[in-house]
Order: sequence, then structure tokens, then C-alpha cells
Amino acid sequence: MTSQEQELTSVVPDLRDIPLDRLADRGGSALAQAIALYRKRLKENGIPLSSFNARI
Amino acid sequence: MITTHRLPEAEFTALAAGGGDSTVMRHLRDAQQSKHLMLLHAITEAAGGARAIPGEAAFREGYGLLTRIQTLDPGASAWLLGLPHLGGWAHDCLIRLEQGQAPDLAYFACAAAAVAVRIGVPFELDLPVRDGRVLLPGLGSLRICDQSLWIQLRCDGERVTAGRQFEAASRMLVPDDGSGKAVPQWRGTPMVRAVTDGLAWDVLLETGDPYLDRYTLPMSAGLSAAEIGRWQHCVQNAWEILVRHHRWAAEPMADGISVIVPLMPQRDSDLVSATSPAAFGAIATSWPPDPVTMAETLVHEFQHVKLCGLMDMVPLVNPGGEMVYAPWRQDPRPAGGLLQGVYAHIGIARFWRAQQHAENGPDDVLRAQAAFARWRSASDLATDTLLRTHCLTEAGVCFVGMIRDQGRDLESESLPVKAQEIASEVALDHWLTWQVRHIAFDAAGVASLAAAYRQGESFASQVQPNAWIEEETRKLEPAVRSRLLTTRYLAPARYRELCADGALPLSEADRLLVARKASAAVQAYRDQIVGSADPQPDAWIGLALALHQLPPSPLQTAFAAHLPLMFDIYTRGCRSDPLDLAGWFA
Repeated sequence: MTSQEQELTSVVPDLRDIPLDRLADRGGSALAQAIALYRKRLKENGIPLSSFNARI
Repeated sequence: MITTHRLPEAEFTALAAGGGDSTVMRHLRDAQQSKHLMLLHAITEAAGGARAIPGEAAFREGYGLLTRIQTLDPGASAWLLGLPHLGGWAHDCLIRLEQGQAPDLAYFACAAAAVAVRIGVPFELDLPVRDGRVLLPGLGSLRICDQSLWIQLRCDGERVTAGRQFEAASRMLVPDDGSGKAVPQWRGTPMVRAVTDGLAWDVLLETGDPYLDRYTLPMSAGLSAAEIGRWQHCVQNAWEILVRHHRWAAEPMADGISVIVPLMPQRDSDLVSATSPAAFGAIATSWPPDPVTMAETLVHEFQHVKLCGLMDMVPLVNPGGEMVYAPWRQDPRPAGGLLQGVYAHIGIARFWRAQQHAENGPDDVLRAQAAFARWRSASDLATDTLLRTHCLTEAGVCFVGMIRDQGRDLESESLPVKAQEIASEVALDHWLTWQVRHIAFDAAGVASLAAAYRQGESFASQVQPNAWIEEETRKLEPAVRSRLLTTRYLAPARYRELCADGALPLSEADRLLVARKASAAVQAYRDQIVGSADPQPDAWIGLALALHQLPPSPLQTAFAAHLPLMFDIYTRGCRSDPLDLAGWFA
């Protein structure tokens, strides 16, 4: 937690303002790292589903 | 240089307290858009490999179209990138690529066509026809009358044509909120436009998209117009409850939830609801019995959605972790997974705290109070487990600490004795049943304890056997008694009916327990256990419940803490009076 800025830094790169056809050029290694991290987490956790039977 | 999304600490705190306003939701949604762009980039790279993938050309055309739309109308591309449909599809692609299977690349062309139709941007795309329909995610689907597997969809900015068999104004190809004129061959995705006290919520009822049909139960596809009308009515009624009594949840929900997926339950009596981190913004649920239950379900699942969004941005749990007890599940859960449950149930407890004051009928008030009592008490146990098992990241420890504070604040509110008594009994039954079903001991340790008991040695001086958690270590059928105890507060009128007609397959001891004749029930369970050659795990649990209806005693603590061990010692040869055995543990 970065208490000085009173903000949490996330692991998701902000790609909203990057043109789709420039993602590869502009993204570079930061994007590749974020994708690798996300894929790793996906592998570790699968896609966990919350499923709840309220009558149990 | 790419920056990362950031989350103000005040918003993190608001989320931990179970809240989070529209600004928080916007930050979570923004991060989801970037996540979907990131996944889209990963899929693009995979599609550019040496191996040809079916639908690749359509994908590239769709990608080009979305690139164009991103420049023309950033808000429109943001709409598409925020759709839970797109998240479901992107995750499916990633999983398929990991498994060496071909992803469904052509779906993305349908998604790009949907956003182009939505804002009237000219395009020509070849789109796949599946089960006789062309999907336009987030809008609806177009019926194709021949056996074509592909069809060219064309838009000149105002009119959309599909081959030679369909033509309509693009502005007519919208979700179906019941107010528009029917377009031949077009089926708009059903939509609810719920409005109460000026607060509006537009939400799709998705029953046709395969990438939102990924829950533990199947999507309710093929709903009739009457059934869709019932769902729309139900959502509107639930919305009224949320806006009038739970505005803290309603306001961000209107910003964060865009899709409800109706599910088909296995049994009519089941109410099953679900969310997936792959589909941020979607809530799946089977048909609820009443609008209050629907409102509770929406609050519950919305909590999961918020936490999924937060955990995408800031990891709160480490992978792995031991299996533990969750007060809302029958199965053992990984410690990290417990966080989702405790967060959802803090929201549920807040819902019932407010709902008790909104109800009028005595049965409805009892339901609200008992539900509040039950779920607020689950928080402390679950947060302690999370903090004890070291499964949390630094941010996770901070987050769970704030959830625990919120739970303790809820615990400080006074409730009628009857509601607390019902909640305590149901919670104890759940805990004891879970222990008997899942806690295993090493046989040598149990034998050693049994010998010590027979020889009159003290329990305190014994070495405890090794214990671990198993999927099903002792066979325990679902108890009619447990359902009845839950029905006592979920449906009090039904409970009275069931008790009065005597038709339920309950033992004599169970009947005495339900009638709250505790001393007689204790004796009847003892007789049942001693008089049977078979193990009677259900009767042991009943005995513990009956003891808890009596004034406090050390035996109650012994049963709550040691029931599975007591049961194992008894069934391995120490067939004495169960209360005598329990007394040894006390």
C-alpha cells in the first residue's frame, strides 16, 4: 500500500487510451508481464465460481 | 510507458466495509476494460502464430472494426469492452489456448458487429451462424432462414442487411425491454428497465449467449414470453426493495451489474446463485421464491462481483492454502476461497439488518431477524480463520481486518431472543454436521484415547490424535431435521404446517427436539444411539442440539468441540452412555 499517495497500485495496466492497433508497440514488456501474471493466476486458481444454494 | 490502474485507499476501505459507491464501481469497471484489452491482446498474439485457427480471418476483421470504432466513439468501444459476455469469451479462449484447443475466434467478430450496429457505423463482416442464429452480444440475435454456416452482415450506417434474407434499420436491433416494435427474424435480448424513486437500473436477462452459460447450473435458455415477463416483474419488485431499503447496495449495483443470467435449478426447492470473475457485471440465479429473496440474492452476488473486480486489481490471497470450514458451505473450502464467502455474507447480514425494519408480517420479521443473526455471527469465525491460516497478502490482511470490524459492529446490535436462538441452533447444526462429515483422525490415536477412557485416565493428560479434513470421512445423509430447522426461519408458516401434520420422516428423538422438549429429546437420542448396532452420526448431532436447548453446561462445550472424536471412540468399541463419554471430554 502506498500510504504517501493514499492509493493502492494495481497489477492491471491501464490500456484504455492505447489504440488497439498500437497495443503491441506501446505495450512492450509491461503488457507481456501483466499477461503472464494473469495467466499464472488463472492457472493457479482456475476460474473460481461462487455458487451458493440458499436452501442448504 | 504504461501506467497501472490505481485505487484510492478510501475506496479500498469503502469496499472492505461492504460498500463502494458509483465512483468505486467506475474504477472497478475501468480496470475490467483494461483487463479485457489485455486478454484480447494475448488472444491476438496467439492467433498470429504459425498454426491456422478457424475464424481467424473474421477475428482480424472484427479487430480492425473495433480499432476504427475506438477512434470514432471511445464510449462505444468501452461499452463492448465492459460486457461480461466479452470477459466470458476471452477467458474461454485463454483456457482453450492453454489446453492446445482452438479458441472460438469468430465470436469476436460478432461482438465487434454488435457495437457497430449499436452506434450505426458502416461495416461488412462475415459472421458465423450457430443454431440458425447470428449472435450480436449485448443486443440480441438474428434468425437465419437457410442452412448457411456463415453470412455477411453489412451496415451502411443506417440499415443492416444479412445476405439477401434480412434487412432492418440498425436502430431497431436493440435489446427487448417490451416497449419496441417487433422486427421479423430479430430477437432482442430481454431487458429490464427498473425504476424506483428516480433510480434506474437497465439490466439484460441473458438466455442465449454461450459464454455466459458457464455456471454450475445451465442457463435457462428458451424462456417463453410469459416466463420472461415474470422475470422482468421479479427484478422490478426486487429493485423497489433495494432502492427503498438498501440504497447503499442499489446505487452501485445500477452501475456495476449489466446482466442477470437465469439458471435452471435441479430441484424446484433450490435457490442457486453464482458469479464468475471471468464475467464481471453478470449475476446468475435460479428463480427466487419471492422479491425479498431476489433482492438478497442480488446483494449477495453483487458482493462477489465487487470482490472479483478488486482482486483483479489487488491480489488479496495467496494461492493454495489449507482446507477449512465455511459456515455457508457443506464442503471444505480452501482458506483463500473463504474470503469470497465472508465478504458476501457481510453484505447479506447488512441486507437483513435493514430488511427486519422493512417487514410487517411477524413471519417475515422473524425471517429477517434470524437471517441477520445467523450471518453476522459467521463473520468473526471466518475472518479469524483467514487471519490464522496466513493465506492473505499484506493488502488482504488489511482488508479482512476491516471486514472483521464491520462484522463486530453488526454483532453489537440487539435482536430478539427467539431469532438468536433459531440462528444459533441452525449454525450449530451446520458446524456439527460439517465436522462429522469431514474431520478425520488417525486410527492409532483414536485407539489410544479409547483405551485411556476405558482405564479411567483423564482426557486432559492425553495426546490428541492427528486430525485432517477429508471430502467425506463419515457417511451422513442429508438430514430432514436440518432442513426443518432452517425452514423454521426461512418459511415459518411452512414450518408450522410440517410440524403439525407429522408426516415428515423424523425419529421420535427428532420430534422431541423440534418440539423443544429438550430433556426428553436427550434421553431419546441416548436410547437411539445405545440401542442401535449401527453408527448413528445423525443421532449424535441431534443429542448435541438437544443438550444446547438446556441451560449451559460443560457437556455442551464438549460436544461442540469434540463430537467427531467422541463418535469415533464410541464406534470403535467404547459403547458406553454417550453422556458419560462426553463427560470425559468436558
